[in-house]
Amino acid sequence: MKQRALWSVLLAAVLALAGCGSAGGSTTTDSGAGGKLVVWDWKSSDANAANFLAKAKTDFAKKHPGVTVELVAQPFDQYYTLLGSAIQAGKGPDVMLFNGGGQLRDRIGSLVALDQYIGPDKARLAGWDAFSKDGKIYAAPVTLQGHPIYYNKSMYEKAGLNPDKPATTWNDFLANCAAISQATGKKCLAMGNKEGIGIQFFMSSFGPGILTTQEYADWIAGKRDWQSPHVKKIFQLWKDAGDAGLNTDGANSTPMFMDMFGLFQGGKSSHVLGLMSDVGAWKDFNEFLTPQKVGVMLSPVITPGAVPVLGYDGGIGYGVAKWTKDPALAADLVRSLSCAEALKAYSTDAGAVAADTTIDTSNGGPALAVIVSEIKSGKPALHVALSAKTQDLMGRLSQGLLSGSVTVDEAVTQLAASDKAA
Amino acid sequence: MTVERSRSSLRSAPYGRSDEPAAVTPASGRAASPRRWPRYARSERLAPYVLVLPAILVIALLRLWPLLLGVNFSFTGDAERDGRPVGFDNYATLAYDDLFQSALRNVGLLVLILPVAVAFPGLLATFIYLKVPGHRFFRSVYFFPAVLSPVIVGAIFNLVLAFDGPLNAMLGIAGIPAVDWLGDPHAAIFTVVGVHIWATFGMALVVFLAGFATLDGSTQDAARVDGASIPQIIWHVFIPGLSRTIQFVFVTTMIGMLTSMFGLLYVMTSGGPEGSTYLPEYYIWIQQGQMNRPALASAASTVLFLIMLTVGLLQVSLLGRAGRDD
Repeated sequence: MKQRALWSVLLAAVLALAGCGSAGGSTTTDSGAGGKLVVWDWKSSDANAANFLAKAKTDFAKKHPGVTVELVAQPFDQYYTLLGSAIQAGKGPDVMLFNGGGQLRDRIGSLVALDQYIGPDKARLAGWDAFSKDGKIYAAPVTLQGHPIYYNKSMYEKAGLNPDKPATTWNDFLANCAAISQATGKKCLAMGNKEGIGIQFFMSSFGPGILTTQEYADWIAGKRDWQSPHVKKIFQLWKDAGDAGLNTDGANSTPMFMDMFGLFQGGKSSHVLGLMSDVGAWKDFNEFLTPQKVGVMLSPVITPGAVPVLGYDGGIGYGVAKWTKDPALAADLVRSLSCAEALKAYSTDAGAVAADTTIDTSNGGPALAVIVSEIKSGKPALHVALSAKTQDLMGRLSQGLLSGSVTVDEAVTQLAASDKAA
Repeated sequence: MTVERSRSSLRSAPYGRSDEPAAVTPASGRAASPRRWPRYARSERLAPYVLVLPAILVIALLRLWPLLLGVNFSFTGDAERDGRPVGFDNYATLAYDDLFQSALRNVGLLVLILPVAVAFPGLLATFIYLKVPGHRFFRSVYFFPAVLSPVIVGAIFNLVLAFDGPLNAMLGIAGIPAVDWLGDPHAAIFTVVGVHIWATFGMALVVFLAGFATLDGSTQDAARVDGASIPQIIWHVFIPGLSRTIQFVFVTTMIGMLTSMFGLLYVMTSGGPEGSTYLPEYYIWIQQGQMNRPALASAASTVLFLIMLTVGLLQVSLLGRAGRDD
């Protein structure tokens, strides 16, 4: 009896250690039964996306009347975990929503390159960079996402500063913040770094004022010298802002979504590193501070010779899964999801800057007008160029920089190693 | 076998029906004929296995098979190497990954904190057993946190422990400087473990109370007559008498800490700050979903399983030896 038990354990062990089969699952099974396309996103349950999706479906129905489009909404917190499981089972949706950048680029093995389908849209839409890798495009952008710096004009007025002329150098910026703190008792920057995303916003908002034009272009192209003085300066400034008390209290335990924005909206800080679309953007702030009092600025010039621009890129976009039965059909749905009427509905309802730059945005208030005027000269956001793994590491190191357990040199060394391995 | 024996004893014992004729034939023709015995015996022999089969199938299909699959997958690769055997590469990655090492250190910390997590409900159960004033009220109130879902508990304590929240405000009134409970990398893990103990000690308390109910009151009375103080009674009467209960609570609390803290971690700290509250469970979740590395996650799961197995077996043997007076 004991011998038999021993043999069966041995057999089980041998089978287990065989290392056959794959944890990632195969990608050969097909889905998308004829006449139906399944779309996954985290927007279809939002009331303010209803119009957008309806218009997209109408546009698609004109081209392919017999095909049903099924929208499945997933909770955003678990979206990539669920998508990961679907990808591994090879039985996922036909069309999927993605954030631009690392999350999409990590999964291009499961996506269809769309270059041959989206030709006509290339000129009309902006923000393709966040959805491309190695020269191929994997999703069509719906919104643009960027990182302007918002400020509270009422606080500027209270401190006796000109609300229409924000600082253009770092020293002026510090001086303004000091004046406002003196007059109102409020901190300079609302900061929520619990999820580790605060550093991403900091890099993309202030980075354009620190890196030279050449360094910026190199960074986006993939040639990142983490030990260079200007890159180190980004992290040094991040640390200094924390040490000097520019940030709101308890930055490492304040979640960015939505507490950080809540602090700015509640008038607890004079500035916030915000977004361009959806949440934490001009629409939310307009509601709380009134459109007239929401100011937008680019980074002040921190390195002499730097040319601050708006760092922005594709925000969210839909891609086509590799296992879909008819890639051309799915690509047409993707094109309908970024058609002009759909995007116009989305931009007004959800407070987003649509990827279609020809859409009229005049009723979004002065803040939106400033943002839109900067799109033409804008460049891809710095943090979007990094892999998800490096962003995750950067988040943890940023918390260490604020709490003092990591030095800037240690941080950039670790990041350089992670970036190289990616 | 037992069935046959009892059957034969039924035959030999007199039924005591004196009014019936001597030739008492057992009912329905299942007579003493030896040829019929083996068939009946065989179905009797198979009956236990058939009855246990559903439970065995459930365990085998839903526990053992996925376990083997997971170990199997841990020897394959991710991304470009998806589906290809890669030997011990994933385990090597884990060995050099700072984050996983931090998670393992936290596991060690949990093992060290375990006696506190067991002593706390044990002490409260003792006081309830000794009928302190208000013991009936405490008995019901102490169980209440255990019925809350971890997400609710996490959300509540997020608010209470916020840097500008009520706890720091109270400390401020007492003149103690505010502590960033969830943002200080040295404090965060203890904070989360503390909240976990608050949320789950009710279960252990109930088990202890059940253990107390099995205690023989006479030993306690004898000790009191001999003039023992409360701490002496606890140490010399209660703890030896409750050794099996303590053993059980140790093992279940350990399992709970290692595998049920995910909800709190996710809601309260997201593994931060600086990865200081990472546990293997959270690591597995992040690697599988966000980082898209399921084979690495399988390797981490296997390591977690081996840790739990080792710690569990060690505990049982250590505590079994310590409480050996059964």
